[in-house]
Amino acid sequence: MDKTELLARIQDLDLMIHEVTDPASKGQEEGLGFAVIGLERLKEARRKLEEQVDRRSLSLYERVRSKYGRAVVPFQGKLCLGCFMTVPTSTLSRRKEGDELLLCENCGRILYWL
Amino acid sequence: MSPNRGVVLNRRLIDYFDEAHYIPSLKSTTKDAVLDEMLQPLLRSGRIRDREIIMDMLVRREQLGSTAIGKGVAIPHGRSVAVPEMQVVLGRSEVGVDFDAPDGKPATLCFLIVAPPQDKQNHYLLLLGTIVRLVKDKKSRDRLHKAASFDEIRMLIQEVEPSG
Repeated sequence: MDKTELLARIQDLDLMIHEVTDPASKGQEEGLGFAVIGLERLKEARRKLEEQVDRRSLSLYERVRSKYGRAVVPFQGKLCLGCFMTVPTSTLSRRKEGDELLLCENCGRILYWL
Repeated sequence: MSPNRGVVLNRRLIDYFDEAHYIPSLKSTTKDAVLDEMLQPLLRSGRIRDREIIMDMLVRREQLGSTAIGKGVAIPHGRSVAVPEMQVVLGRSEVGVDFDAPDGKPATLCFLIVAPPQDKQNHYLLLLGTIVRLVKDKKSRDRLHKAASFDEIRMLIQEVEPSG
């Protein structure tokens, strides 16, 4: 699993945790009849995923997340779906090189290829 | 009461149902295997690309709490950055699948809903609520169980959907 995939999984967990803890959305799932009892298990799963990511990437993730709410955004058809600016071809070609995170040059979000 | 009263989606409920995303008889008999089986039509139709990230998210969601709501219905759901657009897969199981339902009944009707995180108008929750209301209605549940074809399911959904 590469770094982007790990951060995507962490973000999916963060969103799930947020939806059941944030005052604005808390209770919505329970209101529909779904059980919400395993929050600690999710937090533990997040801690385990964190351990697999290097500190620099994790710190970047947290920084971008605190700025925008979501750090990892898809890009589709050369478009960053965070800021809707075109991602330069030179950036996209780096996707094939190693395990480096691809960042949108305009907004700095981490790009996930859809 | 109409099972969908008061719910407004920007797309009609029927628009989320596709025959290619309907499994009349699930082969899997365990929760994780059913989740995986229900992702397969989305992979085949190219609606999703990364099975593993989405599967991981669905399994985690089940760890948060069962998505079974009882009376033989489970609605596994969640959001992931790996999902480009909200999708629904409907599967039926003849033997039933243990989804840790509150009433202990195995799930014979499963609605899988996956959605992207970017959804400011919260259509995901509206769709989830609409499906919950649909299956809480016993007549609708019975018709979904007994439908001999996808067309019958389509007709049911069109009948219960609010107009306009």
